[in-house]
Amino acid sequence: MDSVGPDSEQLLSGLEDSAGDAAVLRMRLGSQLRRLREAAGITPEEAGSRIRGSRSKISRLENGRVKLKNRDVTDLLTLYGVTDEALRSKFLTLVTRSNGPDWWAEYGDILPAGFESYLGLEAAAATIRSFEVQFVHGLFQTADYARAVTALMRRAAADEIQRWVSLYLRRQELLSRPDPPHVWSVMDEAVLRRPAGGAAVMRAQFRHLIEVAELPHVTLQVIPFASGAHAAGSGSFTVLRFEERDLPDVVYLEQLTNAVYLEQRPYVERYLEVVDEISSEALTPDETTLFIEQVARET
Amino acid sequence: MTTDEAPTAGEGAAGQSKRPPFDTSVANQARIYDYLLGGKDNYEADRAAVDAVLKIAPELGFTARENRAFLGRAVRYLAAEAGIRQFLDIGTGIPTAGNTHQVAQEVAPEARVVYVDYDPVVLAHARALLKSNKAGATQYIDADLRDTGTILDQAGRLLDFTKPVAVTLLMILHVIPDSDDPHALVARLMDALPPGSYLALSHLGAELLDREKAEGFQGVVRRQAQQQYIGRTREEIDRFFDGMDLIEPGVVRVEEWRPDHEAEAKSALWCAVGRKPQEGSHEVL
Repeated sequence: MDSVGPDSEQLLSGLEDSAGDAAVLRMRLGSQLRRLREAAGITPEEAGSRIRGSRSKISRLENGRVKLKNRDVTDLLTLYGVTDEALRSKFLTLVTRSNGPDWWAEYGDILPAGFESYLGLEAAAATIRSFEVQFVHGLFQTADYARAVTALMRRAAADEIQRWVSLYLRRQELLSRPDPPHVWSVMDEAVLRRPAGGAAVMRAQFRHLIEVAELPHVTLQVIPFASGAHAAGSGSFTVLRFEERDLPDVVYLEQLTNAVYLEQRPYVERYLEVVDEISSEALTPDETTLFIEQVARET
Repeated sequence: MTTDEAPTAGEGAAGQSKRPPFDTSVANQARIYDYLLGGKDNYEADRAAVDAVLKIAPELGFTARENRAFLGRAVRYLAAEAGIRQFLDIGTGIPTAGNTHQVAQEVAPEARVVYVDYDPVVLAHARALLKSNKAGATQYIDADLRDTGTILDQAGRLLDFTKPVAVTLLMILHVIPDSDDPHALVARLMDALPPGSYLALSHLGAELLDREKAEGFQGVVRRQAQQQYIGRTREEIDRFFDGMDLIEPGVVRVEEWRPDHEAEAKSALWCAVGRKPQEGSHEVL
């Protein structure tokens, strides 16, 4: 296991030209702060108390969950023995950039809080694995399907629904980014069988699924009714994984009234186990395409 | 839980599958390797076993990385210098950077690669991540190395067995006990392929870990792992290439095979690449 020591030359390399969202930059900076702290042999408690907070404040900050404050970062860099003025000022410039508005800020009026942080995680993820029991994954929904589902789920007025749909389409630009995440979604057959918006909408949605499945960074699998009951008794969930070695995987659970994020390793591993198991039981990606074509003919 | 207690299909019957059940409470070969290479597709039991092993024999971390580097050099040699366009990669493992088809297709975009593994979770990952470019092709076979009939039958539909094929068996033969006759398995595979085909393998070396470390390693594996590992001698490695011509530099440690960088330590793996000669024409190394 290589330990990644804080080499001041390398420390911020790649971050300055990372084009991504503010949220992505925030996670990367948090991750750098964790490396600096560990290299300095300082506990999260010590670091937390230096910035007038707790262990969990440090953990939120290092996992990129909260915006970084210049004052906190200045104090932490001092505590971690980073004295090089040029490096400190570069770090603080990036902190300012990481506090810039995210693209979804303009949807602030309709976004539930839990979903807002999900969008940040999704943008930062290297791998997104999901299990879907009822709806097609948001990254793969057509506008009409998204409209039908939103009308159903969000109890929104017509103009609000339109904003939700445009938010979904904006979010899908992730898939055509130069360095897109690998999105691997396993769907229960029920997702295909339960018509949202009617047969025509579903048929268009099926065509879209077959198209996105062709993308090198997209994997779709269906677990058919015929394969019996499966391990995912929990319902839909998403596991987000990040490139950085020290950023933990996150499980995202969307519920009717709020969203739950799991980060503790034993919990996360339980979900990984389930998603590994269903992926190996589900139809292969090639079989999935044939299966969707078959369902489309029957719809 | 030891392997002995794990329910395995076809236990004891040579030539049949001994597929490991999906069980995250014991360390699993593919996930151990993933963790050693810095991957995240592993579970608590895998990490515990690896951490215990690394305390006893720290060079095993280096060994895993050098095996991966050997894969890159060997496949590049086979595609670029030997002109091979068809690969049969048995014991694929969890995908990471520099997988066989990526290395081969970098040299020859039209290269076709068939991946074989007996671990259903590994196969799910392989199908999701080992996607070919447009010019070439990748396919996946769900089979145990002991089931050479299934492997050859299915690979024969994807690859053209009238043209040379390179078989790669990296860090897999050492989980096949003598009772399953690994030498005969390799011979059966190579017999089905035409002259000019290649075999590349890497294998835990019996002489490459000192006794104390080997015992410590085997102890951890026996208690905590799904697969057991058998080190074999240089001479036994050599015998996998009976009737073939070894490519320079012959049987060496993985880091010594046509190296492109200075090795920082010594690994515990033998490796070699050999070529099946034209009928009656043997080159001597």
